[in-house]
Amino acid sequence: MDPHTLALMYARNFMFMFYGFSAAWLIVAVYVISLARRGARLKKELDDVRRLTDSADSPL
Amino acid sequence: MREKFVIGLAAAAGLLLAFDLYRILLVLPDEAMQGAIYRIMFFHIPAALTGFTGYFVALILSVLYLSSGNLKYDSLAASVTEVALVFSCVNIVTGSIWARVIWGIWWTWDYRLTSTLISILIYAGYLMLRRAIDEPTQRARLSAALSIFGCVDVVIIWKSIEWFRTQHPGPVLSIRTGGGNIDPAMEHMIYYNLLAILMLATALVLVRTRQEDISREIDSLRRTANAAERNIA
Amino acid sequence: MRTIRQSLQVARKDLAVELRTKESLNAAGAFAIVILLLFSFAFDPAAEETKEIAGGLLWLVFAFAGALVFNRGFARELPNECLDALLSSPLSPASLLMGKASANFIMLLVVEALSLLVFGIFYNMRWWLRPWELAGIFALATWGISVVGAVFGALTVNLRLRELMLPVLIYPLLIPLLMSAIVLTNTLLANGAMTADQLIWVRVLGVFDIVFTALAVALAETILVN
Repeated sequence: MDPHTLALMYARNFMFMFYGFSAAWLIVAVYVISLARRGARLKKELDDVRRLTDSADSPL
Repeated sequence: MREKFVIGLAAAAGLLLAFDLYRILLVLPDEAMQGAIYRIMFFHIPAALTGFTGYFVALILSVLYLSSGNLKYDSLAASVTEVALVFSCVNIVTGSIWARVIWGIWWTWDYRLTSTLISILIYAGYLMLRRAIDEPTQRARLSAALSIFGCVDVVIIWKSIEWFRTQHPGPVLSIRTGGGNIDPAMEHMIYYNLLAILMLATALVLVRTRQEDISREIDSLRRTANAAERNIA
Repeated sequence: MRTIRQSLQVARKDLAVELRTKESLNAAGAFAIVILLLFSFAFDPAAEETKEIAGGLLWLVFAFAGALVFNRGFARELPNECLDALLSSPLSPASLLMGKASANFIMLLVVEALSLLVFGIFYNMRWWLRPWELAGIFALATWGISVVGAVFGALTVNLRLRELMLPVLIYPLLIPLLMSAIVLTNTLLANGAMTADQLIWVRVLGVFDIVFTALAVALAETILVN
């Protein structure tokens, strides 16, 4: 195979390799972000419900 | 204390991954026939192993839940399954990109790809089932049953589709082929990356489990608040 | 032995109810015929290629019609709290599950027989050339589907989205079974003898049936009892 085609093939290969790496890390990043958001939402909900039960307890 | 452990674990995973990435991109040579694209293997194979290990661990945790009744096992099982699902998706996507370069097609009905896809569908069903049930004990019980059925089925699927179609490259890891199929430096790289990804997966599982526990706490507090309101009223 | 006797009692009760109203059989049967009709538009019945995929078409029809049958299986016990009554009775959960599976089995076989008739007419296929082997394969595969259908019918009976969750959960699980049945049915419909290679698929069917029946019996109490 002549060097020009070889060079083109390698360049394309590298491009796809980076696409591959990016795809993998994108999926993990999306999951981590969704975890973070869920965590924040849960924390807020926990605080809200704690306040609710505290106020429910106090009249008793 | 536990949060520090999780952060430490994630940081260690990150460092190892950075080190691996340096070696993968700059130190290891190109493979003779595939060119640069083979480097995807360093994430593809560990992701696959993490995914399937996760399913088996979830099976064990489900059995532990059913025998002990302790909901902590249920939280762990759900988290492990979810993280395993994420890494299985990474597995399929990286495999698909590799296939596009090497075989010229995005998808092929090869046995590993098909089995992995079916496993993803089974465990996506698991997560859907969990969403559909509000009561924690019932949810834990039924998800545990599904997890057991699912994992046993994944084994059956794996073997039966292997007989059905074969195009995927054969095993390369020495433990399966007895050496000679792959340059040892590359093989060690796969194992290092596997370690890094397992550490990352463990950190994610720990975070997710904590969220499950918080979610259950919120649920029980709500029920208490409801009961208290009814008492007052 | 007691479990088997109890299962048969449950199966008989279900079949008796079904014979009286014929609701599941009518629905599943009509559904099967409609799908076969749709398939005849999608896949040209005259073409040679269609004859090669005949097994696949048939088993898809059975799987879809089966979902209707399984949905009704436990759902019919919900009104008047019949399910609670059954569970509080001396009946063991395993017998209840196996009884439902057996009833599913018979009903699905009836739907399959009907579909085979209609299929033979629409697609001009002579399916009766190897009757015993075909019957054997159908029995093995249908039992596997019925057990999985009963288990997940029980699992999803109290869920909001029962009709949606049941198919979503069972179809991926049934893939090895459907795959084996399709391969074997294709061979038998083309009047080929089953080669030694294909005995592997019979073994897959057998393993699937045994493993899932055992799992169903072991997990029956977990799934059914609150």
